[in-house]
Amino acid sequence: MRSNRQLIIDAQAADNIWNYLDEDAGLDDTPSIISLDRLEAESDSLRQRNAPLGVIIRAGEKQGEDIHRVAPFLDMLQVVALEFPIYRNGRSFSSARILRQELCFAGEIRATGDVLHDQWQAMARCGINAFEIDAKISLDEFTQALGELSDAYQPAADQQRGILWRRHGL
Amino acid sequence: MYRYDEFDHQMVADRVEQFRGQVARRVAGEITEDAFKPLRLMNGVYLQLHAYMLRVAIPYGTLSSKQMHMLAHIARKYDRGYSHFTTRQNIQYNWPALDRIPDLLEELASVEMHAIQTSGNCIRNVTSDQYAGAVADEIEDPRIISEIIRQWSTFHPEFTYLPRKFKIAVTGHKNDRAAIKLHDIGIVIVKNDAGEIGYEVHVGGGQGRTPFIAKKMSDFVPAAQLLAYLEAVMRVYNMLGRRDNSYKARIKILVHETGEEEMRRLVEEEFAKIDATQMLTVPQAEIDRITAYFADPDFDASLPADSAALAEARQADKAFDHWVNTNVVDHKKDGYAIVNISLKPIGGVPGDATDAQIDAVAELAKTYSFDEVRVTHEQNLTLPHVKRDDLKAVYDVLAANQLATPNISMISDAIACPGLDYCDLANARSIPLAQEISNRFQDLERQYDIGELKVKISGCINACGHHHVGHIGVLGVDKKGTEFYQISLGGSADENASLGDITGRAFTEDTIVDAIETLVTSYIDMRQDDERFIDTYRRVGMQPFKERLYAE
Amino acid sequence: MAQHSAKGARFQAVTANRLTDGEVVYFTADGQWAENFTAAEVVEGAEAADALFARATPADFESRVLGAYLFEVLEDGAAGYKPASVRENIRAKGPTIRLDLGKQAAI
Repeated sequence: MRSNRQLIIDAQAADNIWNYLDEDAGLDDTPSIISLDRLEAESDSLRQRNAPLGVIIRAGEKQGEDIHRVAPFLDMLQVVALEFPIYRNGRSFSSARILRQELCFAGEIRATGDVLHDQWQAMARCGINAFEIDAKISLDEFTQALGELSDAYQPAADQQRGILWRRHGL
Repeated sequence: MYRYDEFDHQMVADRVEQFRGQVARRVAGEITEDAFKPLRLMNGVYLQLHAYMLRVAIPYGTLSSKQMHMLAHIARKYDRGYSHFTTRQNIQYNWPALDRIPDLLEELASVEMHAIQTSGNCIRNVTSDQYAGAVADEIEDPRIISEIIRQWSTFHPEFTYLPRKFKIAVTGHKNDRAAIKLHDIGIVIVKNDAGEIGYEVHVGGGQGRTPFIAKKMSDFVPAAQLLAYLEAVMRVYNMLGRRDNSYKARIKILVHETGEEEMRRLVEEEFAKIDATQMLTVPQAEIDRITAYFADPDFDASLPADSAALAEARQADKAFDHWVNTNVVDHKKDGYAIVNISLKPIGGVPGDATDAQIDAVAELAKTYSFDEVRVTHEQNLTLPHVKRDDLKAVYDVLAANQLATPNISMISDAIACPGLDYCDLANARSIPLAQEISNRFQDLERQYDIGELKVKISGCINACGHHHVGHIGVLGVDKKGTEFYQISLGGSADENASLGDITGRAFTEDTIVDAIETLVTSYIDMRQDDERFIDTYRRVGMQPFKERLYAE
Repeated sequence: MAQHSAKGARFQAVTANRLTDGEVVYFTADGQWAENFTAAEVVEGAEAADALFARATPADFESRVLGAYLFEVLEDGAAGYKPASVRENIRAKGPTIRLDLGKQAAI
């Protein structure tokens, strides 16, 4: 994580204990986030490693495939980091929902990259619960942003059924 | 028509406050223009040549008189006293100040209107048939499912940062007035053998740089499953749509590059997963609630099919008679009619209306059309339910407001995008060309002789003037600093959708109207029986037109 | 945006739109953004153009305007200069189909 960033997990300020590892960096016992390629290549030995493990999924064209490539390894992972390389690349919103809702991943889904105020609420609704954001942002601002739209029409990865249903007590 | 409940009001109010905060942060320098731009776009705020432009949503083109009056008020208070109705049934203001837009939006919210998602890479206004609920042989009022789709797509957290904009249209009639085959998703309401309502879903239509007719993805999606199906299409698009090149980022390109079969397979696979969760099955209670808003108004069932008063008035006033011929269409109920209001006065700016005109139409809607007015895809307005007995009274008010031009679907009823007179994207001016065509062909007898001829003019390749689907389409281009005009023939946006064929070399500002005149006279020379221009073109092809067009 | 070519242009100026109300403005010699094209600072040559653009867009320029860019102008005799492109002429005056709107209305 960049030095000018802070980490918010489940709407609380959190210490960042995770390191993003380069492809060839050695793995020790500290909480480490590695690439999907590496996870796949070293999965056997990683299963033996008794230490926190995370993966970062890039937001390129292959992200759809990657989300399904990572599926067999989810039981080994505490963190899946989803890349938002630039605010207008919204692939990871879909990936987050697939991870939460289809693949039932219960660990931390983290937004990394261009993670801006006006997206946090949508990200949270899609199942992202950890945010690498600018260090200057106050927790108040973050919390307030999550509630800017007080309701929702449609269901997503959050528990909200959506107004279309709730109107009728469903 | 639909009325907001407390939830709808709250959503719009929240959005106004959110945008107010975003504008404040931008003005205070807390966010860059680069970060602010997608936010303002998602609230319909463009930067154009002279000023900001605000696009206000008119869901499926339906308005009440109260809403129309507010639109007129907005034009007076925040703009320069006029506005423009668009080819997607919305309305645009050309001169609002950014720092007053939050107040403007708050006023709109008070009459259940907004500018949400009228721009940006998100799901846009769901458009539909301007004759919905008024025309005979409708399978179902398309505005019901349009409203459900509108709500589902509003602030959808997964689909707010799509590769590109996304446009959905719905028709409930075999005559497609909503151009569904030229949309990212086009929906045709159908009934199966058991008489159940379902939706034929077409995907990947669009104009712009690379026009495509949509491919049919499903013959029949049952009503309760439509949102799950749409969500599947959107998710496939969001994941796989190209993001490397904004000219290749629409779903039409994804369908084209993936192939129709594979696309269908991907969608069906995702649909099966989503449908299995049942999370998007629309409750019957909600379908019923929304359906009730689109029930027939209290029609007078005692009216005879023919109106003696109308017949008399037509005898007495030739201009009125012409107007009835061209602008009035049959209604599903005896004694009623559908009235088309032309916003194409001879020599005027297509689709523009002054605040006074908007107020006048609002009053007509309230008095004569069960308080409803519609916006069409062709930059005109429609009063859906007018008693035939009242047509003369309506006409008199329209005539007094320069709104009674008897030219619907005639050559002078041309569509033109704002073009280089207003638009930051444009390469050429389009409005002056529409005005010149209108002036050249203003003679009514000549127009009636020519008959139905849809001219559509775009000022750049983005095709907001829908030139690809004009019977005669014109694309303005820039060659070394000079405006040129390229002609295409044979396009059509209806159920027999087709993309126009380019004739050849472009024309100058000085020769383009003569060229169109040549095309018109060629058609008149070649036509057989009752053929319209488009019919003759489809029979004889490009060659005879091209020969005459480029003859020395 | 279309018609922005200033490639090979001899004379150039900088234009933008004012942040608060979107009004077309031009960068002046004394570092202001003026509504009138005649007040625009015009420079000659590519180097001077780049320097002008840098002067017009310091770190905080977005607090005043958005969408700043260089555009070509041509000598216009006694009037000084005029915009080269159809687009910039329209921006300097107003919509050609509504002479009662835009800057041209004030003239």
